[in-house]
Amino acid sequence: MNYWLMFWTGALVIAGCSFAVITAIVSVCGYRDLMQMFRRLTAQHGKENE
Amino acid sequence: MTFSVLDWTIVIAYLVFSVAIGMIGKKYVGSVADYLVAGRELGTFVGIATLAATEIGTITFMYNAELGYRYGFAPFVVALISGLVMIFIGRTGFVITRFRSLKLMTVPEFFERKYSLGLRLLTGVLVALGGILNMGVFLKIEGEFLTVISGIPAKYLVTVMTVILLLEMLYTVVGGMVSIVITDFLQYVLLSVATILVSIYAVFHAGWHTIVAKVETTMGAAGFNPIVNPKFGLTFIIWQILLWFSVHTCWQTTAMRIFSTKDPETSKRVMTWTGFIYLGRGMLPMLWGIAALAVLGTGDNHNGVPMPVLNGHALLPIDAMPAMLGSILGHGVKGIVVAGMLAATMSVNSSYLLGWSSVISQDIILPARRILHKPELSSRRQIQVNRIANLFVGLFLMFWGLYYTPPGAVYLYLNVTGTIFLAGAFACVIGGLYWKRANVAGGYLAMFMGAAGAVVPFFFLHWNENITGFIAFALAGIGLVFGSLSGRASTRAIAEKKMP
Repeated sequence: MNYWLMFWTGALVIAGCSFAVITAIVSVCGYRDLMQMFRRLTAQHGKENE
Repeated sequence: MTFSVLDWTIVIAYLVFSVAIGMIGKKYVGSVADYLVAGRELGTFVGIATLAATEIGTITFMYNAELGYRYGFAPFVVALISGLVMIFIGRTGFVITRFRSLKLMTVPEFFERKYSLGLRLLTGVLVALGGILNMGVFLKIEGEFLTVISGIPAKYLVTVMTVILLLEMLYTVVGGMVSIVITDFLQYVLLSVATILVSIYAVFHAGWHTIVAKVETTMGAAGFNPIVNPKFGLTFIIWQILLWFSVHTCWQTTAMRIFSTKDPETSKRVMTWTGFIYLGRGMLPMLWGIAALAVLGTGDNHNGVPMPVLNGHALLPIDAMPAMLGSILGHGVKGIVVAGMLAATMSVNSSYLLGWSSVISQDIILPARRILHKPELSSRRQIQVNRIANLFVGLFLMFWGLYYTPPGAVYLYLNVTGTIFLAGAFACVIGGLYWKRANVAGGYLAMFMGAAGAVVPFFFLHWNENITGFIAFALAGIGLVFGSLSGRASTRAIAEKKMP
């Protein structure tokens, strides 16, 4: 049981930390991605309308 | 009422802002590909945000917390499997890179490319049936969460469900996938902040040593070791590995994100990083459930676990987590957490509404029209059909949510309803992509046997979920191999479709 507890504690720490770190990175870089997506969609529609 | 004016202000401000920015998506929707797969323009980070937000909802928090409350640390194995399988798929590109290269819009579309139009139609029906039954319990459980945590009287549950549904339908119907991607990004950030806040509060309030001691005294070794826990065991673990492979590759809402990425390499990166998020997606809410057991688990024993009690009132295990949050979170923080949970709810439901309605429109209505030799619909008409399907799915969800209560743990109900189509679809996709011998007869057998293997044992024979799920996957695999070997080899090549 102790081994399982140690294993789950380690897994929980890794899960919690990676969740927090990835959230921080995605929050910053995702905004840039979103703006690029809008630009590409607008450009696509521009080409289709020409 | 446990909600203060400050909490209500935060929640209402979030709702107005979220719906308003969701409406921005409309101006970017020109074609059906824009509407369903955001013009295939998703980058890595926004892809991670939308995939994570789609698969993390209040329903996810509720069923994972329920698992933690009922079975302690042992169900952490579910989170571990779901995360590791996703990372494996991301690193290897198993199924997803080939899927992305084919420029699909829905999973059943693959069945026409590899197998036949009829099999696409059958798969569409099973995908829609399994998916909508699966989503059918979301609204009620999400409504329960909101009423319990905010202190709204239970008689307003239907009103809360209706408001949630109408708000998310508003921008989904109008802006499709583009609106969903925009709102998912905002919702992902908010739900992640709420997840981290709640995790800190739960452990701080209940105390780590108290949490461990409660599981030890209540469940013994079964609370930590999934192999010796009678609810889980090896059969369960094998089923979960198969199930998560199929979910990450064939689940319509997940697959739509893969189809929406800029290229196959982006889809691999999105999968890999979201896999790490999946570890926390499962383990953190399970921890909240265990904390709720430590704080509120003082009632009569039921199936070996004390029922939660708050202010002298006995609750169901699934309501323990929101009841604990309602009692430990301070004013303001509670508003942020509920806004985060609402964000999670709306991102999941909007994506699921679009996912299942797109299957109805693209894989049931359009193929049926072709079989009946009706003229092809224009892109604009296809979007209209999708919007109507969206409304019908929404209506069904309301009625099913009020009528049906799943027996046992909600997580297991969701797994079994998903297995109705996942077992057959996964066998057909693997066969179709990696085995030249796979043919139409094998595809039909796999879909029928997989669906029968999930529906008959669970709904009619009332067998254990583990056995049901395991049998469904085994039958689907046998069906594909037997049908393919007994019929002629498929001569159909899977061609890339000329799509925008």
